Amino acid sequence: MQTFVTEAVDWPDTAPALRERVRALVAEHGERDQVRRANSWTKPDPQFSRKLGKAGLLGMTWPKEYGGHERSQLERYVAIEELLAAGAPVGAHWIADRQSGPLLLRLGNEELKRRWVPAIARGEAFACIGLSEPGSGSDLASVRTAARRDGDGWVLDGQKVWTTGAHVSHFMIALVRTEAGSERQKGLSQLVVPMDTPGVTVKPIVDLTGAHEFNEVFFDQVRLPGSALLGTEGEGWKQATAELSLERSGPERYLSSMVLFLELVRHASVHRNPELDMLVGRLAAEAWTLRLMSASVAAKLARGEDPALEATMVKDLGNSYEQAIPQLVQAAVDFGSPDNEVLRAVCFYLLQVSPSFSLRGGTREIVKGIIARGLGLR
Amino acid sequence: MSDTRRMLAEMVDPLFAELGPDATEAKDLSRLEQLGLPLLLVPEDEGGFGGDWIDALTVFRLAGYHALGIDIPALAVERADGGQCEQTMAFARTCQIAGALDAALALSVAYANERQQFGRPLGKFQAVQQSLAGFACEAAAANCAAMGAAQALDRGDAGFEIAAAKLRANRAVEVGTTVAHQVHGAIGFTQEYALHHLTRRLWQWRSEYGNDAYWSRRLGEHVIEDGADAFWPNLTARTDP
Ligand SMILES: Cc1cc2nc3c(=O)[nH]c(=O)nc-3n(C[C@H](O)[C@H](O)[C@H](O)COP(=O)(O)OP(=O)(O)OC[C@H]3O[C@@H](n4cnc5c(N)ncnc54)[C@H](O)[C@@H]3O)c2cc1C
Repeated sequence: MQTFVTEAVDWPDTAPALRERVRALVAEHGERDQVRRANSWTKPDPQFSRKLGKAGLLGMTWPKEYGGHERSQLERYVAIEELLAAGAPVGAHWIADRQSGPLLLRLGNEELKRRWVPAIARGEAFACIGLSEPGSGSDLASVRTAARRDGDGWVLDGQKVWTTGAHVSHFMIALVRTEAGSERQKGLSQLVVPMDTPGVTVKPIVDLTGAHEFNEVFFDQVRLPGSALLGTEGEGWKQATAELSLERSGPERYLSSMVLFLELVRHASVHRNPELDMLVGRLAAEAWTLRLMSASVAAKLARGEDPALEATMVKDLGNSYEQAIPQLVQAAVDFGSPDNEVLRAVCFYLLQVSPSFSLRGGTREIVKGIIARGLGLR
Repeated sequence: MSDTRRMLAEMVDPLFAELGPDATEAKDLSRLEQLGLPLLLVPEDEGGFGGDWIDALTVFRLAGYHALGIDIPALAVERADGGQCEQTMAFARTCQIAGALDAALALSVAYANERQQFGRPLGKFQAVQQSLAGFACEAAAANCAAMGAAQALDRGDAGFEIAAAKLRANRAVEVGTTVAHQVHGAIGFTQEYALHHLTRRLWQWRSEYGNDAYWSRRLGEHVIEDGADAFWPNLTARTDP
């Protein structure tokens, strides 16, 4: 048995230059506040996104015809790992650049592609994911939000919830039931819903840190043109779950707490003690390993393979790692001392957000269930 | 995987499987010599096999996978380095741990699918599934770490990577051996059943050529001395062309 077919990742020759460009851009326009650098891929900053668009760092792998830059998947990987490691505020465009754009390019009709893809690449159109509903969390196949045919178009009714960035997004890709009376995975389709369509209402949900990142989204007789259908009617389940390898294995699955690790290193260099040395060593080894694992999945995706099992393992290990860091730092560092203010602030912020790491994108239990099935259990 | 490496694996895998944990140098070394394995890392122009470090990973991992009774990594490293260099042996043990974890995982998954309790295979129980999934992640991490270290060795300086890889593999031993034995129940605790050939070696290899404390301290000191701002640039520079 070899569960994770490891291979040598060929980092692109352009990587060093690309890193320099991203680092310079982040140094000039990035986030200065250390706390806001944590978990930075949920921090929207539309201006920063536009800067990235201008610099050719969005839609990097897409065809030029649609505003992309025809760079390789691994070049994109280099750019995004740089942005995340630096805690850059990439939240506004993150979902559009990572999955909505590629999905539109793969399955979208010409009208959808022309309307959205170039704007995403410019950093001007942002997207949100409409999967979860009040009655459908882990059991996603139970979604009830429904669209019915109306002449050439669709009428959409229902509700999504926990929708990250709905309040800053221009469109949602929603998984909805398009066949009345259908059950479970059958009869689902993906619709592209512009957020300014009449009948779409976004209500903020404030999270436990006091931040507004996710929302409830209500659809009340929302009229959409026939072209809003993404891909094939009735194939929504297959289409939505095929994205998951893209979504699950990126560097954002292990780097959310990197800023805290770096603050720990800073702290440990002033307060030398063997226990902190060992903690830093352990966390560094894990970061090194996860980076290789995540990049190895990216290399496989680039070759057109679907390393679904590997991608899922990266998510599980990565989330556990970024979740453990604040706990381990809290256990090891005396926060009573006044010279620890930044470390303490970043740590307490991450203690509070880190429960979400093993929920968003599929919970730990669901993810482990997928791994188990990949192993041949069940 | 390149073709020559696949051929190497296809040659070595059945031989190690056949020799297994009971192999001894007195009895079986000649079989390994016929394939040139002790000279794996000696350059071709010096009469060796001329393997690179990824070839070494392939062979050492399979030695771990089959719990080979002969310490072929030690032999190969000694012939190449003229002694058992601590770092290279730490790399070798990392590869063996990676292989043995995969083998213990395979045994555990097969057993869970076969053994029935409460009228169904153990593998149907979610608690068992979740433990095995966690084990698989650890085995995967150890394998990726071994590969990362092998690549670094082929590039040249691999001090950082070997430290990180041995440490990561050591940590995987804990979850792997615990879950493997738990899933097997009492049968896994017998001398007759094959699991102990793997788990007892895993516990040994975790201690050899640097335990967790040793490598985490060395790695930590290194990272702290370079400073927080150098961590990420150094990490990426080590893999960039
Ligand atoms: C910060 C954040 C951002 C999010 N952003 C988005 C977004 O943009 N778009 C979107 O659609 N969704 C989003 N989500 C929702 C996320 O996908 C769901 O939270 C997740 O799928 C779990 O659903 P739930 O919260 O309803 O929990 P539930 O499904 O009710 O689960 C609760 C607990 O029970 C466990 N459980 C459930 N079923 C099983 C089972 N069969 N076996 C074992 N254990 C089980 C779960 O693992 C979990 O621990 C976001 C969530 C968070 C926290």
